[in-house]
Order: sequence, then C-alpha cells, then structure tokens
Amino acid sequence: MTTALAPAAPPTAPQARPRWESRARRREAGTAWRFLLPAVIFFVALFFVPILNQLVAAANGGVDGTTFVGLDNFVTAFNDPEVIHSFTITLIYAAGSVTIGIGIGILLAVILNQALPGRTLFRSLLLIPYLTSVAIIGLLWRNILDPQIGILNRLLETVGLPGQTWLSTAPLATIIGITIWSSAGYTMVLFLAGLQGIPGMYYEAAQIDGAGPWRRFFSITLPLLAPTTLFVSVIGVIGALQQFALPYIVTGGGPGNATSLYAHRVFIVAFNDNQFGYASALSVLLLIVILILSIIQLKVGDRANDHT
Amino acid sequence: MFTPHQLNRRSFLRLGLGVSVLGAVGAGTACAPVTPQSSKGGANTFTIYWNAGHTYKAYEAVIDQFGKDHDLQINWQKFQWPDLTTKLVADFKSGNVPDLVEEVTAGTGTQYGIAGDVIAIDDLAKGDTGMKFPDDFIDAAVTARQYEGKTYSIPFHLTANGLLFYNKGLLADAGFATPPTTWEEFLEMTKATTKDKVTGTALNSDPSYSAPFYHQQGVAFSDVTKGEFLTPEASATKALQFMQDLIYAHRVSPAPVATTDYSGPQKLFSAKRAATFLSGPWDLGPVRQGSPDIDLGVAPPLKGSVQASAMAGAGLMIPTKAKNPDLSWELIGKLTALETEMAATKEAGMSMPRKSWAADPAVASDETLKVVATALSLIAKQDPELPASGKANQINELYKKAYQQIVIQQHPVDASLADFRTQAKAALS
Repeated sequence: MTTALAPAAPPTAPQARPRWESRARRREAGTAWRFLLPAVIFFVALFFVPILNQLVAAANGGVDGTTFVGLDNFVTAFNDPEVIHSFTITLIYAAGSVTIGIGIGILLAVILNQALPGRTLFRSLLLIPYLTSVAIIGLLWRNILDPQIGILNRLLETVGLPGQTWLSTAPLATIIGITIWSSAGYTMVLFLAGLQGIPGMYYEAAQIDGAGPWRRFFSITLPLLAPTTLFVSVIGVIGALQQFALPYIVTGGGPGNATSLYAHRVFIVAFNDNQFGYASALSVLLLIVILILSIIQLKVGDRANDHT
Repeated sequence: MFTPHQLNRRSFLRLGLGVSVLGAVGAGTACAPVTPQSSKGGANTFTIYWNAGHTYKAYEAVIDQFGKDHDLQINWQKFQWPDLTTKLVADFKSGNVPDLVEEVTAGTGTQYGIAGDVIAIDDLAKGDTGMKFPDDFIDAAVTARQYEGKTYSIPFHLTANGLLFYNKGLLADAGFATPPTTWEEFLEMTKATTKDKVTGTALNSDPSYSAPFYHQQGVAFSDVTKGEFLTPEASATKALQFMQDLIYAHRVSPAPVATTDYSGPQKLFSAKRAATFLSGPWDLGPVRQGSPDIDLGVAPPLKGSVQASAMAGAGLMIPTKAKNPDLSWELIGKLTALETEMAATKEAGMSMPRKSWAADPAVASDETLKVVATALSLIAKQDPELPASGKANQINELYKKAYQQIVIQQHPVDASLADFRTQAKAALS
C-alpha cells in the first residue's frame, strides 16, 4: 500500500524587511554599541593591550630585557628543569585539589540538602573559609601545622599520637588539603544549587521503579549535576594553575622547590632573577595551557551533557 | 521586530566560563613591562621603603622631624624584606620609584647600581664632610658595597650572623657553666640539653643562617672570577653535613619548617623549647621583650676549623630616579648620625657600622655589645663580584633550594651541593 504524499509547498521567497524595521534595527544596534563602547575600550586598554605587551616582552631578553631574542625564551622554558618541575607539580596540585574538592563538595551538598536541623548554620559556617582572605588562611595554617608549636600536633599528642612534620614530609599534599578546606564551602554551594534544580519527580519515579538510594544517586543526581561539575572543574583547574598566594605564604615554595607551583616560578623568575622577558614567556605558555585545557573540558562537558 | 539574543542556562554558564578563562589570561599579564613614568608621589611627598622590623622610635623621630623641616609629606612604607624587593624591582621597571630605600644586605645596592637603578653616592659623600664617610665606617661594611671604585649604598646597620644565643638556666641544669666555643663542645652541650620537649638548638630554614657554619670551615660562598661556589668543596660538605646531622643523626634540633619567616628558632627559644640558637643582634630585642624571664646569654661565634661569622646588616640607597637625591642624602646623614645610632642601639640592641659608635663608652662597656663587636671582627670576606654579576639573587635562590633539601628533606649533602654548583655556574654563564 502506498501513501500519496502531498506535494511539498514551494519554498517561499524571503520577504524583504520593511524599511522601517531595518532602520529600527540599525538604531537599536547603534544604541547597543554606544552602551558597550566604554566597556570595550576598558577591556581593550586594560586587557588586550597588556597581553600584547606581554607577547612583545616574551620575545625580548638580555640584561635590560630589551634585546630581541625571538622564540628563545620559549625554547629555554621547554628545557628548563625548574619550569618542568613546577609545571608537573602544578598539574598534580590541580588534579588533586579539583577532583577531591568536587567529591567533598558533592558529599557536603547532598548532606546539607537534607532536612537537617541547623543546616542553614552549617552551610554558612562552611562558606566562611572561602570568604576569608588567602593571606589569613595561609598564616592560619602555617601556625596550625607548625611541628613544634602548632595546635594540630598538640592535639595529636593529647590523644597519644606522634606529631607530624606536615610541611616537610608531604608539603604538596598539605597545600592541596588547605586548598580543598578553603574552597569546600563554595563548591558545596554550587552543587547545592545544582541539586535543588533537579525536579523531585525523577526521584519519585525512580523510587516507584524500585531504585535504591545509591542507584538514584548514580543514575539521577550525578548525571544531572554534570553541568555544575563541568563549571566547578573548569573554574577549579584555572584557579589551580594560577595558584600563587597559598604556597608563597605557607611554605615560600619550599622545602627546596617542592611547592614552587608554576605561578610561583614565574614570580621568582621575574622579581628574584630579574628576567622579565623569560617570565613573560612563561606566562604566555600558562595562558596557552589554560586555554587548551578549558576548551578540552568544555568540549568533553558538552558531549557528556548531550548524552545526558 | 528586533529580538535580542536570549541567554539560556547553558550559554550563561559558557559566558561565565569564558569570562573566567579571560580572567586567567589577564592574570598572566603581570610580567609585561610598563612605560616608565615619573617618581613616586607628588612633588611634596617623600617616599621611603623600609623593613618592617626596623621601625624603631629613634628612626621615626628623625624621619618626622625631617618631614617638618622641609614641609614634606612623608610616605614611610614598611615591608618584609621579600615584599620590599618585589615592590622595588617593579618600581624600577615602571620608573615610579621611592626617594630612599633600605637595602636588604651589602651588595644589593651594587647589583641595582650597576644596572643603573640606584646612584653611586661617592660624590654626595665627598661634599658632606660632616658625614665622615667612609673614614668613620668599618671598612668591611663599606668595601662590601663598592665595585670598581663606586659605592652604591651606605652601611646602616652592621651585624654578624653566628652569635650563640643560649638559655643560661637550661645550660646550668645540664651542667654547663659556660657556653660552648667549638663545634665539638656545641654538639656535646646540645645533646645534654635535649630532653623532654626541649631541643639543644634550633636551626633556621633561611639559608643565610648556614653561612656561619660554612665560614667556620673556611668555605667561601662564591668566587665568581673562577666560577666556583662553596669551595673548598669537602669543607662545604662537612659544614652542611654537620647541620644535617644535628637534626637527623643527633636529633638535637627539630627540622626547620619551610616558610618565608626566619623567626622560627627565636620563637622556639623564647618558648623555652630550644636551649640555644644561632642568629644575630636583630634577635636580641624580640628575645628580651618576648621572654624577659629567660636568663639570656650571648656568646661569640663558634670555632669549626676557624672561628668566623657572616656579615649581615642593612644599608641605605638612593634610586636613580628619586626626585631629589640631595634631600635623600640629607636624610641618610640624619639616620646614620652617631646620636641616632646610639638611640637605636639603646632601643633595640642593634649594632652599627660607625667606628665612633664602637668606641663609644656606652657600647664598649656593654657585655652583649662586646660579644657583637667580637663577632663583627670575625666576619668572613664577601665576594664583591657576585652582586656585580647581577645574578646574586638567582644564585641565592638556588642555594636556598639546596639548603632546604639538605636540612628539611634530608637529601644527600654532596648531591644537593653538586646540583647547586651546576645550576649556579649555568646561571652565571
């Protein structure tokens, strides 16, 4: 049996916009540009011009930083063991602080999404470290972790455990731990917002179908938190790659160069070694790495969201 | 009708991420050079960069009076040393400089002076007979600031690292009536005083505190002309191995904590958790004020193969683009005048570079200052070529890495020093 299909309607020719509409559109666009212009000028002057300036600086070297060296600074960076070391530990720092931070953020969000007494208070308390200046956090933890006079070892000794030299035996892990502690509240708030955006009917339907709490978590909660997870991971990786203040304050990049993260290395090259051209090249490389990682994360995230 | 593009949730997140990525890009622009402008502040503002630990009332009074005399608004900015250095380097790059700067240590001014960032003060000194420079200044403090006949800073404080601070009560309890004078005696004393929660000594994470130890083995930090570092090598190994053993073999010192703060040993000593520590006169004030109940003793530097101390102490330098170098020089004259030095010594126990200060009866009769004077006479010679090479900071940073690896991470001494020498030579070349 065949079905007669109705002939397709001939394509309609695009109708010319009335002249009054084009004029209105141009007027609106002009108004929009006038409003945008101050922001554009501000952005170009204080953002793109310095970036361009930095690119020029990266191509210069010598004692006074004015000798044109082309790509030499970039070539040097790829062969500099200190730079390779700092980049490697920065990747470890980013991976550790972001992945563990996301896990703890989700866990806290799930707990504080329950109807528990005092949950508003707990949410507020967890957010305090994020709202505190990194300088204060650094000094606070430096004192807490001091092996001789720090409160943490005092507590351990009180319960009969030996004191630890946290900043000497596992300095990078300690810095990762402090980072997670300080950002857990913020991550929790983001995931909490994500959780509250998941319609309750999904859980009800799953429960009717016999899904237990774990199944509901892994099949509903986690997939529907994917956009938030993507956001947190991209922001977290960018922040981690740029991390400077915490190791600078807590360990000064030491012991040795164990916590000399990439941004700290750039700082040392610029302000200690007085090699501004080389430091500019290192900054440009960091920019490229951040852009590449962010694009990859966004693409992967988009694909995952599409599947969801 | 024109319909503006609507932001949905996903595009909003994208926008947020985009802004964040661009923010990250912007954060990397800190190293870009900027166009030199003018000197810091208005014509009537006089800007001073100072170490936060040196804000003595004696200096405050002089600076206040100087501002009143010249109808100047004084912008006295205080920093920790690393922050002062960072700010100053950025200022030199921008051309927006202060009028007077405290120099972290001898040689720093030379490094900046050769690069054209601070002036040689010889002509100013020649025209100021009242200053008595360099005749009234201890030679070692002056020559350490000179290169090829030019002087790039004025000695302000002259101190020696390597004084032995000891708790007389704890030493007496362990059966020591007098402080140790040699490494062997020092080790014996630290073993005897290490008990319960008290350690015999406390080493510093700051690498400059290792200088007395290697100088006491006759080691020179650098010989730039020959391209050598920490030589004789065997003696350098012996010195650093001794320090490492104090922590890990003899367990008479806690492992230092890697921080930017050098006051850890002093705090342990003040808390009666360490019987001794090695430092300089700058820790006299904090110990006396922080723990007046401690019966403090200060002994001359120890003797390894030789008895030696390491030079320390700040200077004063004038940036090339300072608004009025004559005015800056006038303030230097007032700050380094004998009466100001005496007032600062009385207030904080700081030792000074003027020969007339050392000869003053109030100084000569003070038991602690006598010990400081002994330490000053034992200062090991510095290599003037290192700051002149422009690589002193870079090489010091490399040594910091090696030193912390040795005393904090317990890396093999020979390997760490060999690595340091290789990297330092590469930095020089």
